[in-house]
Amino acid sequence: MPKDLCGAALSASIVAIAQRGDRNAFAVLFGHFAPRVKSYLLRLGASAESAEELAQETLLIVWRRAGAFDPGRAAASTWIFTIARNLRFDALRREKRPAMADDPSEAVTGPAPPDAIVVALQAEARLGRAVAALSADQARVVRLAFFSDKPHSQIASELGLPLGTVKSRLRLAMGRLRALLGEAA
Amino acid sequence: MTPRHHPPHERLVGYGTGALRIDRALVISTHLRACETCLGEVALTEAVGGALLASLPPAQMAPDALERALARIERPAPKAPPPALPPPGWIEIPRDVALAVRHRRRWAAPGVWVAPVIGGPRGPRGYLLRVGAGMTMPRHTHAGSEMTCVLKGAFTDRGETYGPGDFAECDESVDHQPKVTADGECVCLVAVDASLVPRDWVGRLFQPLVRI
Repeated sequence: MPKDLCGAALSASIVAIAQRGDRNAFAVLFGHFAPRVKSYLLRLGASAESAEELAQETLLIVWRRAGAFDPGRAAASTWIFTIARNLRFDALRREKRPAMADDPSEAVTGPAPPDAIVVALQAEARLGRAVAALSADQARVVRLAFFSDKPHSQIASELGLPLGTVKSRLRLAMGRLRALLGEAA
Repeated sequence: MTPRHHPPHERLVGYGTGALRIDRALVISTHLRACETCLGEVALTEAVGGALLASLPPAQMAPDALERALARIERPAPKAPPPALPPPGWIEIPRDVALAVRHRRRWAAPGVWVAPVIGGPRGPRGYLLRVGAGMTMPRHTHAGSEMTCVLKGAFTDRGETYGPGDFAECDESVDHQPKVTADGECVCLVAVDASLVPRDWVGRLFQPLVRI
């Protein structure tokens, strides 16, 4: 229950920015997400300086593109996670080439149906519970795959597992999460 | 046209999580522009990533982080760069790739041009490779893995045909000789760990020209 409220409050903050440039709502989002986005980027192998800057930029984009956020289509956390990931890719590209990049997974393909907002929030809460409910083995693999820059072969050797087992655990875990999302939609 | 050859699941998860090497991410992101199915798989990864974000221990931000952010939002947003469109007849491509087509193409051999997209002459890198209609690539293996997304035209390799949007991946165990179909030129975006290894004298002649 607190998870639903939390997700709903975060979505509402983005909508408040879009509708009336609400700076208090921005401060709330910044306080919640900036330290977590920084934590995520550090785990991907970004330097402390780069992680701090990209966390700043992520929230800056949340401010600028709040109007494009569709609470019926994605949870606030999903939207912000995706922005942070794309900024990390862009930063890596800029290191090699001086050009900004765009990404199709940000594309908005149409308006969400009215009930979808509730469904998306429920899905987010379910997903949080589903991740918590994975078996310890599956959860470890999912977390390592998500929040480290290690290749699957290295994850396998650290866990003392064959590569095939790591891959199949990840696939099974993602399948379970997909099934849970499917029920929610 | 919907692609028929897709990246393995682990590559899509790697892209979704942000852990994938950048040259590989560019190839996956190009395939995703052409493939709704894989885009859906990546969207699931993003939803899981968002849910996990809440469970991460927060990192310490700089003491003036919020103050800086509040100052930055008052400044006007920079203008978005103009779109970089693909040449006619190509699938949709990332901006970096379109810029490489426009600015960094060079002829490498008769019928063959290359355009570096990302990375340097050593180590992992991404480049565009254009091969003329009906041409056969020199037979080669790879020092590491190679990921390819077809941007225009088609080639055949070991009994399969790869067309626009299709994804192919080979590792060092594959010794192959892709052939472009007769109906037109083929352009691919390729990500490699290191230079390819030619297997015969034609290839050894070809390699220094192409430098791939």
